[in-house]
Amino acid sequence: MPLLQVKNLTKRFGGLKAVNNVSFDIQAGEIVGLIGPNGAGKTTLFNLISGILHPEEGHIILDGQPLNQLSPPRRSLAGLGRTFQVVRPFAMTVLENVMVPLLARDPHMDQARDSAMQMLALLRLEHLADAQPDSLTLAQRKRIEVARALATRPKLLMLDEVLAGLNPTEISENLPIIRQVHEQGVTIFIIEHLMDALMAVSQRVLVMELGALIASGTPQEVTSNECVIKAYLGEETPTC
Amino acid sequence: MSAKRLQLLGGVLFAAIIAIPVFVESRFILHMVTLIFFYIAMTSAWNIPVFGGKMSLGHAAFFGLGGYTGAILYVKFGVSPWIGAAAGVAVSLLGGVVMTLPLLRLRGPFFTLASIAFAEVLRMIAIDWRSLTNGSVGLNIPFKPGWANLTFQSGKPFYFLSLILAVAVVFVAYRLRHSALGFHLRASASNDEAAQALGVDTRRAHFIALLWSSGLTGLIGVFYVFFIYVVEPSTMFSLTLFSLQPALNGIIGGIGTIWGPVIGAIVMTPFGEYLRFYLGTIQQGLNYVVYGVVLILTVNFIPGGIVSLVRPNRSNRSDGSGSSSDTQEAR
Repeated sequence: MPLLQVKNLTKRFGGLKAVNNVSFDIQAGEIVGLIGPNGAGKTTLFNLISGILHPEEGHIILDGQPLNQLSPPRRSLAGLGRTFQVVRPFAMTVLENVMVPLLARDPHMDQARDSAMQMLALLRLEHLADAQPDSLTLAQRKRIEVARALATRPKLLMLDEVLAGLNPTEISENLPIIRQVHEQGVTIFIIEHLMDALMAVSQRVLVMELGALIASGTPQEVTSNECVIKAYLGEETPTC
Repeated sequence: MSAKRLQLLGGVLFAAIIAIPVFVESRFILHMVTLIFFYIAMTSAWNIPVFGGKMSLGHAAFFGLGGYTGAILYVKFGVSPWIGAAAGVAVSLLGGVVMTLPLLRLRGPFFTLASIAFAEVLRMIAIDWRSLTNGSVGLNIPFKPGWANLTFQSGKPFYFLSLILAVAVVFVAYRLRHSALGFHLRASASNDEAAQALGVDTRRAHFIALLWSSGLTGLIGVFYVFFIYVVEPSTMFSLTLFSLQPALNGIIGGIGTIWGPVIGAIVMTPFGEYLRFYLGTIQQGLNYVVYGVVLILTVNFIPGGIVSLVRPNRSNRSDGSGSSSDTQEAR
């Protein structure tokens, strides 16, 4: 059974179908990339899966459990973790930021502090435990975002552009973290604009355009797919 | 200011607080300091939901519900005020549930506006339900001194009772802020969507915070009624005295912090009484004009309140951290 099943998912904003009849599966242990031009509906799809938005049609099933009726916090408790494209850490220390998801599961302060420290160590943030996030670089704040999501112990972790806006040095620092998290046994679904980075980590890539899923395959298959090339380069009357 | 100096200052202050009723005979000063203690308790209770960003301007509702419950039980049914206090807490908790459940769907200013309406409705009910509340005349607490009746010849017992209340409420607020609930509230205040995505049931957190706040405010209301010997709708459900004043104290002291409400109440209570006596006689309402100016100046120049001047690195980051860089990365 796939870890995540998305079936015929549709979301309309007025007359616009932001997500149009999208279906796909993600198997446990995969790293799946999601690409597409701006406005293709990638983040909307993430928001539907994490419960911030509600679909007009379709089903979302995580590990056999239907998610449609669950609130975002319930989905998190069910094993769905995510980061946000625009990182806005809580106005508290880095350590406390990572304690928030832990305390939502177990109110014991000492245990939460210990587990959060371990999580920070994993993401090489332990030296910043007592810092205020708004004094840190974007790359560091993106890592806090990942640490927080990871502290929920997700079955599926959805990463929304965790590399966007970083310089090449920072990317080479943050990229291995995605692999490292994957090695911990976490299945990853990742949106990324940086093709090189995405192709380097993903085992399979989904491509969206204008709300629809237009291609799926290995990075090599997808980059040689004509529809994908047209979607990115633009064409007056798409034939795909 | 270093931690050691703060501790020393706190020690001196505490000694002075204990010494005042022993050495000071002035009823005026005793009354004023007692009032400050009441406002510290009220502001700290009001401040609990503010950890989560929910600012109420309707806390007079809980204050009045508690006060009226204690007074009615005592005056009409002869029930001891101590039992009345428990009943007052129960009724104001119920009020908290009634107010909170529909209002939690509302965010920011809408929650605040709706909370005003809630207190005003209760004030109208207190005026119209004459058989129970004696209408706008209100109920007088009969003067029968004794601990059982919570009525005293001297001002000293209430000095210490209100001090205990203030310390207890500040302690509860401190414990809550540093508990899992406090983390959930603070997370929700700075980024509710992210908090929910991390598994925090933020609506539940706001609900529990408002229940603590309403229950404590009701308790304070009961004691306050026995302190002033009277309940009447225009005092107990007063928008200015018990809805706006705690909010004002909190904002000027520093909202969402532990010491902000304490400092705000200490500074604003004597200031407010002074304005009411001197400006209120010149032109009614003039004191509120001054309040408004003070509020605007505070929000503009020290948005973190007075505590942010003492601890500039910690308490004044209650919202929008990193908002300037968000615009950059959104591009």
